[in-house]
Amino acid sequence: MEFIAFTIAIAVAYQALKGYRLSKERTLLYLNLSFVLLGAGLLIEGLSNLVVVLARFHRGFLILAPIGYTINFITQVLAYGVLIFTYVQQTRKMGVEVAMAAVPLLLFERNAFTELILIFLLAYIAIQTLINYSINKTTTSLLVLGAFVSLVLSHMFFLLFTLAPLFFAFAHIAQLFGFLLLLAMLLRVNQPT
Amino acid sequence: MIPGEQATPAKAAAKYRSQLRIYVDILRVIQRENNQAKPTRILYGANLSHDRLLKYLDELKTLEVIQETGTDDKVYSLTQKGIEFLNNFRRVESFAGAFGFKI
Repeated sequence: MEFIAFTIAIAVAYQALKGYRLSKERTLLYLNLSFVLLGAGLLIEGLSNLVVVLARFHRGFLILAPIGYTINFITQVLAYGVLIFTYVQQTRKMGVEVAMAAVPLLLFERNAFTELILIFLLAYIAIQTLINYSINKTTTSLLVLGAFVSLVLSHMFFLLFTLAPLFFAFAHIAQLFGFLLLLAMLLRVNQPT
Repeated sequence: MIPGEQATPAKAAAKYRSQLRIYVDILRVIQRENNQAKPTRILYGANLSHDRLLKYLDELKTLEVIQETGTDDKVYSLTQKGIEFLNNFRRVESFAGAFGFKI
């Protein structure tokens, strides 16, 4: 599922890059960066999980799973952070200087704290896309809204996964559904006039 | 900008954006007029002064996105390149708009 999501994220990034080349609009460059980061994280976590499975959960390879998750977590935080920065800049037109704090290098297993951070970031983006849909009322903005709501839900399910394993499947389905909605948006935008 | 002053990237980008937007407005007026627009229609439709309209029409002709026909009564129409440019811009505008970004 990560590989499908990776492919869609890269397709969105490519569309944003094409838009930037035409319009020289910086927000599209940030959008491109955001989805490249998302795609990279998904690819790395997908590959690390694949290696663990192919190695039949050999003890020597198990370390790859938290490494993959940690990288995906960091890239997601950066990607959603870039997207939030773009929304804030668009609405407030303020210059923001970002000071990167020294982050101690830790490896994360999937846990409630990291999922809560992602839910918080995604919820902000989902609210922005909801505001956009309430103003524009276009199908494409509805698809983007649906995508980010699905991604919020997927991380809520990942949070609930600590209580019941069943939610792990729900989380992946919600994540895939979110990226499929983004794919539908891309296809709609690019349909011939 | 003061003559001789070096444009900062931000200023240059802002200038380019507004110029792009004016180009698109002109092309859309021509398209709306069934691809046969007189300068007066473009002037009102794109909300430009006469001098600026002539400047932008010259630039668009140089870019080969519009063509001029007629001698006394000039008429402007989109070229194939102009139609493709407008289609590409519509896609970019729709894509950015889906996320709530304006271009």
